[in-house]
Amino acid sequence: MQTPVTIPVPVLRLPRGPDGFSRGFAPDGRRAPLRPEVPEIQKCPIAQESLEFQEQRARAALRERYLRSLLAMVGHQVSFTLHEGVRVAAHFGATDLDVANFYVSQLQTPIGVQAEALLRCSDIISYTFKP
Amino acid sequence: MAMRQTPLTCSGHTRPVVDLAFSGITPYGYFLISACKDGKPMLRQGDTGDWIGTFLGHKGAVWGATLNKDATKAATAAADFTAKVWDAVSGDELMTLAHKHIVKTVDFTQDSNYLLTGGQDKLLRIYDLNKPEAEPKEISGHTSGIKKALWCSEDKQILSADDKTVRLWDHATMTEVKSLNFNMSVSSMEYIPEGEILVITYGRSIAFHSAVSLDPIKSFEAPATINSASLHPEKEFLVAGGEDFKLYKYDYNSGEELESYKGHFGPIHCVRFSPDGELYASGSEDGTLRLWQTVVGKTYGLWKCVLPEIASENSDCIYPSAPDVKA
Repeated sequence: MQTPVTIPVPVLRLPRGPDGFSRGFAPDGRRAPLRPEVPEIQKCPIAQESLEFQEQRARAALRERYLRSLLAMVGHQVSFTLHEGVRVAAHFGATDLDVANFYVSQLQTPIGVQAEALLRCSDIISYTFKP
Repeated sequence: MAMRQTPLTCSGHTRPVVDLAFSGITPYGYFLISACKDGKPMLRQGDTGDWIGTFLGHKGAVWGATLNKDATKAATAAADFTAKVWDAVSGDELMTLAHKHIVKTVDFTQDSNYLLTGGQDKLLRIYDLNKPEAEPKEISGHTSGIKKALWCSEDKQILSADDKTVRLWDHATMTEVKSLNFNMSVSSMEYIPEGEILVITYGRSIAFHSAVSLDPIKSFEAPATINSASLHPEKEFLVAGGEDFKLYKYDYNSGEELESYKGHFGPIHCVRFSPDGELYASGSEDGTLRLWQTVVGKTYGLWKCVLPEIASENSDCIYPSAPDVKA
C-alpha cells in the first residue's frame, strides 16, 4: 500500500524567541499606547514630532547601513573577538533574521579548523573585516 | 497534494512548561502566557508564538498562569507560596499575594476585578484587585490540594478540582452547590462559557460535563494517559495530549480520532485552543510550546500555503527540516 505523498506546510519563519538580554515588553511595541501618557518635557507638538521623526530616520539609516555591512561581509575573512580573550577567524556566510547567529565556514579555532559552524552573536564581543 | 502539519516550536523556557492560557481577542490580536518550572512565565503573541516578554519576580516554579480578557493583566501561581498580578503591557509586577503553601491556579473574572486562587493549602481565595490590601475571601472544603479553579456562569459560580473531586460553588454564598467524584486523579479542567461545558481529563478519559449541573454529557477514551484537553470554540474538534508525547485530535460529535501528531520530546502537560480556534498550543515536559494548525495547510499566522510551482519564485517561505515534521 502506498502512503500518499505529503509536503509539510511552509512557514514564513520560526517564532521569535527571547532576546537573551532583556525581559522584553518593548516600549515601542504594538501595545505601547495602552500605557497612560506621561508628559515629560513640554515641547511644542510640531517640534517634538519632527525630533521623533528625525530620530526614527536616523535609526532606519543606521540599521540599513548595518544590514549592508553584513551583506558586504559575505564570503570574506572575518576576525571575531569572543569572551575570555578568545579570537577566531572564519569566512562569513550569513546571519539569521534576528542576527542571533552567524553562519561561518573554515572557522579557525585554537583546537583546529571547523569546516562549518554557527557562532552565537551573544558570544561575540566584536568582529572586524576588510571588504 | 496533501499537506502535512508543521508545528511551530516556541523555545525560551529551560524547564517543563506546565500551564498555558490564551487571552481573548483584542485589537492587537490575542496573546499567550506560559507557566514554567523555571519560574519565568512568558508572554507571547498568540498567532505567531513570537516572544513579547518574560515576567520576572517569582522565586520558584510557576504552576499556573492566566491572562485577563483584553490581555492587559496577567496572573501567575507559584511554588514560592505567592500569586502575582502583572501589567501585561509593561511586564511590571503589580501585586504579590501571599499564601500559606504552593499556589497552583489563578483565574480573573470577566471584568478583571477579582482574582481566584487555589493551591496546596486546599483553600480557594478570592482577591478584590481594587483593594489589594484587603484580606481575600476564603472558601474551604477541599480535602486535597486544589489543582485548578475557574470562574463560571458569568462569574456567579466557581469550579474547582482537587485530586479526585470537582466541586461547584456559589460565589455569593461561598457554599458548595454540587460535586463530582472520580476514581482517578483529575489532571485538567477547562471551562467553555458558550454552552456552559466543562472539559475534565482523568486517566485516559476526556469527559464533558455541564458546567451548571455537572451532569455528564459524553466522554472519550484516548490511547494513553491524558494530561490536558481543549474543546474548539465552535465545538467541532477537541485536542488532547498526555504521557505518550502525542497530540490527539478528535471529532467532538462522533468521537472519532482524526489525527495524532508526534513532535514533543516529553509528556504534554497542557493544551489549549486559541480564541479564534485557528490553532492550538501545547506545553510539554521538554520545555517547549508548540503551535499547531487546526486546519492544516491554511494560510494563517506564520503558516503560508504556497503551491509548489510558485514556491521556487517565492523566496518568502521556508520548508521546515525533516525532524520537525513527523506526523
